[in-house]
Amino acid sequence: MATPRRQPTKAQIRHQKMEELVIYPIDWLEERSGLVGGIRYFLFRNVPSDVNWMQTLGSAALTAFLVQAITGVILAMYYVPSASTDPATGKPVAWESIVNISDHLTLGWLVRGMHKWGASVFIILMFLHMGRVFLFGAYKYPRELNWIIGVLILLTGMLEGFTGYLLPWDQTAYWATVVGINLNGTAPILGPWLAQFLRSGQEIGLETLPRFYSLHMLILPGAIIALITLHLYLVVRLGVTSPPWSKDAAGGEPVEVEEPARRPGLTRPVPRTANGAAMQAEPGGRD
Amino acid sequence: MAAIPREKPTRSGEARAEFARYKSDVKTRGKPFFPYAMFHDTIMSLVVVATIIGLAAIWKWSSWGPHHDPTHKGLLGPIVDPPADPGTTSFVPRPDWYFYFLFYLLRIFKWPESVFLGTIGIPTIALVLLIALPFYDRRLERRPSARPVAMVAAVLTIISMGVLTWKGATAKEALASEVIQDVPRWIQQENLPPAAVPGAKLFATAGCTACHTYAGSGGSNLGAPDLTSIGTRNLGIQFQINHLKCPSCVNPGSPMPKFASLGETRLHQLAVFLESSKGTH
Amino acid sequence: MEPEQPSPDTEHESLHEEAHLPSPTLWPIGFAIGIVVVLVGLIIDPLLISTIGAVIAIVFGFLWARDATRELRVQQVVVEPERREAGAAAPPAEGGAAPVSGPQQPVTRSVFLEGATIGLGAVIGGLITVPVAGFLVLPGFLRQEQHKVDLGPIEKFPLGSWFVATFVVDPAQGEVSRRTAFVRNNGTVADSNGKQVPSFTIISNRCAHLGCPVQANGPSGAILGKKTLKEHTLNGPVQFVPVVPAGYGCPCHGGQYDVEGNRTAGPPVRALDRYGFEVNNGRLVLLSTYSVSHVVGTGAQAKIYKYKSYGPGQHVDGPEAWFYPLSPPHH
Repeated sequence: MATPRRQPTKAQIRHQKMEELVIYPIDWLEERSGLVGGIRYFLFRNVPSDVNWMQTLGSAALTAFLVQAITGVILAMYYVPSASTDPATGKPVAWESIVNISDHLTLGWLVRGMHKWGASVFIILMFLHMGRVFLFGAYKYPRELNWIIGVLILLTGMLEGFTGYLLPWDQTAYWATVVGINLNGTAPILGPWLAQFLRSGQEIGLETLPRFYSLHMLILPGAIIALITLHLYLVVRLGVTSPPWSKDAAGGEPVEVEEPARRPGLTRPVPRTANGAAMQAEPGGRD
Repeated sequence: MAAIPREKPTRSGEARAEFARYKSDVKTRGKPFFPYAMFHDTIMSLVVVATIIGLAAIWKWSSWGPHHDPTHKGLLGPIVDPPADPGTTSFVPRPDWYFYFLFYLLRIFKWPESVFLGTIGIPTIALVLLIALPFYDRRLERRPSARPVAMVAAVLTIISMGVLTWKGATAKEALASEVIQDVPRWIQQENLPPAAVPGAKLFATAGCTACHTYAGSGGSNLGAPDLTSIGTRNLGIQFQINHLKCPSCVNPGSPMPKFASLGETRLHQLAVFLESSKGTH
Repeated sequence: MEPEQPSPDTEHESLHEEAHLPSPTLWPIGFAIGIVVVLVGLIIDPLLISTIGAVIAIVFGFLWARDATRELRVQQVVVEPERREAGAAAPPAEGGAAPVSGPQQPVTRSVFLEGATIGLGAVIGGLITVPVAGFLVLPGFLRQEQHKVDLGPIEKFPLGSWFVATFVVDPAQGEVSRRTAFVRNNGTVADSNGKQVPSFTIISNRCAHLGCPVQANGPSGAILGKKTLKEHTLNGPVQFVPVVPAGYGCPCHGGQYDVEGNRTAGPPVRALDRYGFEVNNGRLVLLSTYSVSHVVGTGAQAKIYKYKSYGPGQHVDGPEAWFYPLSPPHH
C-alpha cells in the first residue's frame, strides 16, 4: 500500500478495455446459464502431476469416435440403404451409392476411407485404453462403475462395427453378416428368435439392411453417446489416477508436505515436497 | 504394533482413506488439466486423426488400379468389393479383422457337440469376466509389480487374442475357388508334364486339398498325408485309380471319401498327375 | 371501476353487488373451431364435414355454457391452493377428489393426484410403446410366405447328373432372395401307393454350421468341358452349372459333407438342408427348405431323416436339440 501507483499507460488502458470486451459475453452467458463455471471447472481442475502419456489413450479413443460420428453423419447424406436392385444396372442400390461416394463424389473417397479406417482405429484405441486402465489398476475402488461403463462402450463399439459392416452390401458385408446373425442364432432358447428379429425374417431380405442402418445410425450411437457422457462425468468426478509405480503417486503413502504458500485460483502449485526432486522437471513450466 | 496386512480387502476403511488421501494430494500437489494434461491429449488426438486420414489416403491411392478400377486389390484391399450375391459358390467369407479371434475360435471348435461353446459360450464367459473384474479383484494394490496374478492373466489374454487374431487372418480353407489359382505354380515347381495338367486342375477343384497338402497348398485334416512327392513311391496308375474309387477298400479304416463318381477318364487323369508328382525342386 | 378479470376473492365477495364477468375459459375456442369446420364443410362436403363441425360445435358449446353458468349453479367457487393445515375452506368443486371433510382432505387429494399422474403416465407410455414395439418386432415373425420356384421341365435334367442351380426365390424381393441348390435327377421311385414318382436330390448350399455358401468339391463348368445352361422360367432367369461333386465343402470353418449332404468333417451340426419339391405339369417346382439330421443310402433309395426348418448351427437331434425347443414361425 505504500508503493505509489503509476498512472496506467494508454496501452494498458486499451488492453484492459479489450479484456472487458472479451469477458463481457462470457459473463453474460455465465449469469444466464451457469455453463461457464462448469467448463472452467472441467478445464482447470487438478490432475495428478505425474500423469503419463499412456493416459491419453482415452481421449484419443474419444477423438476417434468423434471422427466416426462426423464422417458418418455426412456419409448418411449420400448413402442409400436399399438392398433392391437398380433396374438400369442390375446392381444393388446401396452398393451403387457406395461406389458413387468412393468414385464420383468430390472427396467422397476421403470421408468414406476415414470412416472405414476410423472404425478400426477406434476399436484398437479402446482395447489399448482398456489395457492401460487394467495395468494401472484403475478399475478398483471407487472406479468400478466406470470400468463397467467402459466395457459396455467397448461392446457397443464392436456392435457398431458389426452393423456398419453390412452397409456397403458387397460380398464381404453380406456373408459376414449371415454368419454373425447365425452365430447369435445358436444361443439356447432365445437365439433363433433373436436371429429372426435381427434379420426381420427367416432369411436376410429387403428389410434387413434398413434395420441394420437404423441400429448403426440411431440406436447404437445414442447408446454410445449416453455411455460416453456418463463415463466422462465419472472421470471428472472421481479423478484420474497416478501411475501406480510412480514415487509421487497421489493417494500413496502419506508424504511430508509443506503447504506451499500460494494464492488460490488457477496457478499451478509450487512443488515443495520432501522428495520434490521428481516434481521439479515440469515441461515448459513457469514457477 | 501388530502389522495390519494391507492385502486383506477392507474397503470400508482403507480404500476410503486412500481415496481421501488421493483427493487431497491432487488438490495440493496436482496441476491443472488445462493446459498440461490436455496438451498431451491434443497431441495424441492429432496423431489419431493423422493416422486415420493417412490410412484413407493409402487405401485410395494404392487401389488405383489400371483404368481406375475400384476392385483392384491394393495394399489395404480393394476400394469396392463385388456386390452381394446370395447365391455364390465361390466366395470365402471373412469378418472384419477385429473379429478374427472369434472367427478362429469357431474353427477350433470343430466337433458338432461343441459348436455352441465357440459361438456364444466362450465369448459370453469372457464378457462376464471382463465386466465383473472389479468385483472379483478386490485388492487395493495397484502397482503391477505387486499384482502377479493380474499381470500374468493379462499377458496370457493378450497373447492368446493375438495368436487367435493372427491365425484367423491366415486361415485358408483350400477349396476349389482358392486352390485353382495355385496350379500354375505347381506345374512349375513340380515340373509336371503336359499330360498331368488336367489331373492337376481336377486335384485342385475336387476338394482333395481340403484334407491333403500339396506343394504348399491345402490343409491337413484328419491325418491326410502330404502328396507333394507321392509319385516317388511308384504306386502305379492302376493302384491310384483303385484307391480313388474306394479308399477304404484299399486302405482299411481310411476316412477318405469315394471318388468313383468322377468317372474313368477323370480318375485316369488324376492318377497320371499323382504319379508325376515327384516333389518340388 | 371494477377490474375486468375479478380475482376469485373479489368475485366471491361481489357476487351480489355488481354484475360480474364470467371466469376465463377455453371452451369457446373449440366452439369456434366447430363453427369454422361447419362453414368449410358447406363448401367441401356438407354431409360429412359439416356434420363433424356441428358435433364439435355442439359439444364445445355445451361445455362452454356449463362452465359459464357454473357460478350460478354452485354458489361457492373458491379455488384455493391446497393447504396442509387444518381448517381449509370448502372443498373445490372440480378435481374429482373424494369429498372428505376435516383436516385429512389435503393428504387424500394429493395422494390421489400422485397416483393418477403416475398411472396416467404409465398408460401414455404404454400407448406409445406397445404399438411401436409391436411394429419393431412382429413384422419379422408374421406372414411368412412360402415361395415356389419353377426350375423348368424335368426333361432338361439328365439322369444322375449334378447341377449347381441358381435361382431367385421371390421375384418381388429381387436379387436379395437369390439362392443356390445342388440338383440331381434320380429318376423315379415308388411312393407309398406303389406308383412311380420322380425323385430328385435338391440340396441347399447354405452350410448347417453358420450359413456360409458351400462349394462343390469337384470340377465344374469349363474344367468339365461343359457349358452353363441358362433358362428362363416363371421365376426369372435360372442358371445351371454342370458339376461332378465328390462331396461338398464350406470355406468358412472347415465343414465337409458327402454327396448326399451328410456331414463328414468339421463343425456342421447336421446334414445340409434340402428343398422339398413337386412336379407340376412336368416342371420341377421347389418348395420350402427343411432340415435333415442325416441321410442313409443314396439317390432315389435314400432315406432322409427330415425335420422342420431350423436355422444353421441348431441341432435337430441329440441332447443339444433341447437348446432349441421353440422355433420362430417360418414358411
